[in-house]
Amino acid sequence: MTVTAPEATRADTELRSQLSDLQCLLMLSMLMTESGDEGKILQLAATSVPSFGHTHLIGVRFTDGNWWGPGPAAATEGLRDEVQAQVALLDASGGAIAVAGQGWTWALPLRVFAGHLGYFIVAAAKEPAASEQFLLRVLAQQTGVALGNSRLHTKERSSAEELRAANAALAETVRALEQSTQIHDRFTRVAMAGEGQDGVARALHELTGYPVAVEDRYGNLRAWAGPNRPDPYPKDPQARREQMLRRALREGRPIREGGRLVALASPSAEVLGVLALIDPAGAVGDREQIAIEHGATVLAMELARLRSLAEAELRLRRDLVEELLSGTEEEGAVARAQALGHDLEQRNRVVVAEGRGRVKSQEPFFHAVRRAARDLHVGSLLVARGDSVVLISDADLPWERFRMAILTELGGGRCSLGVGGWCSHPRDLPRSYREGQLALQMQGIAHGKDRATCYDDLGVYRILCEVQDGSSVERFVRQWLGTLLEYDERKHSDLVTTLTQYLECGGSYDATALALSVHRSTLKYRLQRIREISGHNLTDPDTNFNLQLATRAWRTLQTLQA
Amino acid sequence: MLPSSVAVGIPGVDLAPGDHVCVFYPGLAERNEILIPYLRAGLQAGDKCVCVVDADEPDDVVSALGPDVDLGGRLGRQQLEVQRSQDTYLKGGAFSTEAMLEFWDREVGGAVEGGFSFARAAGEMTWALRQLPGVDELIGYESRLNQFLPRYPQVILCFYELDMFSGELLVDVLKTHPKVLLGGMVLDNPYYLEPDEFLASRN
Repeated sequence: MTVTAPEATRADTELRSQLSDLQCLLMLSMLMTESGDEGKILQLAATSVPSFGHTHLIGVRFTDGNWWGPGPAAATEGLRDEVQAQVALLDASGGAIAVAGQGWTWALPLRVFAGHLGYFIVAAAKEPAASEQFLLRVLAQQTGVALGNSRLHTKERSSAEELRAANAALAETVRALEQSTQIHDRFTRVAMAGEGQDGVARALHELTGYPVAVEDRYGNLRAWAGPNRPDPYPKDPQARREQMLRRALREGRPIREGGRLVALASPSAEVLGVLALIDPAGAVGDREQIAIEHGATVLAMELARLRSLAEAELRLRRDLVEELLSGTEEEGAVARAQALGHDLEQRNRVVVAEGRGRVKSQEPFFHAVRRAARDLHVGSLLVARGDSVVLISDADLPWERFRMAILTELGGGRCSLGVGGWCSHPRDLPRSYREGQLALQMQGIAHGKDRATCYDDLGVYRILCEVQDGSSVERFVRQWLGTLLEYDERKHSDLVTTLTQYLECGGSYDATALALSVHRSTLKYRLQRIREISGHNLTDPDTNFNLQLATRAWRTLQTLQA
Repeated sequence: MLPSSVAVGIPGVDLAPGDHVCVFYPGLAERNEILIPYLRAGLQAGDKCVCVVDADEPDDVVSALGPDVDLGGRLGRQQLEVQRSQDTYLKGGAFSTEAMLEFWDREVGGAVEGGFSFARAAGEMTWALRQLPGVDELIGYESRLNQFLPRYPQVILCFYELDMFSGELLVDVLKTHPKVLLGGMVLDNPYYLEPDEFLASRN
């Protein structure tokens, strides 16, 4: 067969056109891969279909059941349903399907390396030429490759993002752990070095940058670190303070109270102290929260240690004082006292304190005596005995001042002191203790009011107390007051008390009546009865002297017998 | 004497005198990554540079060229001309193939007459997306441009933003450009259709 020149030219043009189309497909494939986005790939593929003939894209049906159509979704809604059932019957190589109004419809496979993504469904009024179908098949294949790449890329990006998020979370965990370790290390150093409450406050301030306060459970400042320390230090009313402590105990974690973050140093249900970060702006975060929790733990350990030490020391002091008061082996006692910071080889005396605060418990009274003794350097060897507190002291001071200091610590209530005589040796302390007790008892007889009474200042009472043979004193009392004592006993009257007060008041009717709280005529009647019963002349100075000595001896005997 | 190759300003990418290249890019930043080095290399080589922009203003392009290029002198002797699409492609509110070919002839021909030994041109084609008279002549124009290029010592780059144009138009663009700059590579299209062939195949 002979090929004419025009035919050859037409064939050449068709060939060039076909090759050009293939070249375009190659570049389209590159463009689709370049765009990376699934929607853009499909859009590019869909709008390219008409370039290769008279075909158009109906839609893309994915193996997962999803559908993509060119233009608005509603426009291809009907087609999707129509195509769905037919496509389900096709294998991976695709095939012809029937769509109403289309002369030719074909489901071209979207192949990827790992398999099959779905179908690229094209349609035309009539079946396209084989060359055109070939181009459509290549376009579908390249679209599948680009979609596969895009999905792989998205998956990789998602994996990378997940990895990045996991790395970020891990980094955050490591950072938090490092911070926690740093906090832990810092407070461990505080505990190991025994830096105490000041060390805890300093460490927490260094770790957080906020001012820090350490308070006792009552709100008294014990340590401060950082700037702007308030002076005087503010203290909440007791009720409010207790309310805050109860809330913090209930919540079991640091709480915000006013402009502060507060954590309790509370090894058990008992609150030993309070750690506070001063943060008026409420800006503290997790790191500060962790730091204050660590700080509160170390503070609790420190305060529990101090409490245990204090209790042990108190117990040692109490045991030593008990032994000294009941008489003990001297050399050992001296050594133990020295270990507790007290010199028993110099003069000492026993001070007996009696009283009570506003509450029923005797414990506050004991601690009031202890604190007053500490502040005035009276001594630190003390013990609670019944309702009284017994203190061994080497101090010499106006004892009324000590009594007032106790009342101040107590915040009111009552207190009286009996101060025994000096002892040069520890073995004499039981004697000083008895003297202190006597001074305390005698002050009730002599003055009737709470006060500090030194045994050495008791005058004639002291002589009467020290008389070895009590029976001679008793005979003397009977000689001068016997008839009146018998009368009082028989008649339940108070003639001896009246006479005693009359003589103590120096014979003044007015002062005696006032002291006895009786009318002057009643007093005069009682004195007349005293004269009649005893037969004594109350205007005779010698008689009066002996009578006054006898009344004092009578009271001394009563006290000693009590 | 004509240069054997024309540096585009992108490492490893060279063109030949007479090349008509379509450039596909995803966004303005990527357009500048090609356009700015291309112009800068042309200015440094002493070429006449004519650029038509559509997405931004000529001043933006001039500013992007940077301080290391002596722009004052080059603008003064008209080595660089940056114009807007509405003053060129769409002058008078419509596109005309003839008018545009005359524009290039005037610019490039004038430059050669004025002493420039080589000219490089660039056109941003997003103006073709507007619904204006004559815009449908775009592919015919691109095809005719292939006949214009051999007249002078020159190269021309046509910039197409990928996301803006349909696949059908891009296929036509590909068919009418002997070279494609895509993904940092210049791809030859030996089977591009000559203007007569393309216009015949369309008809």
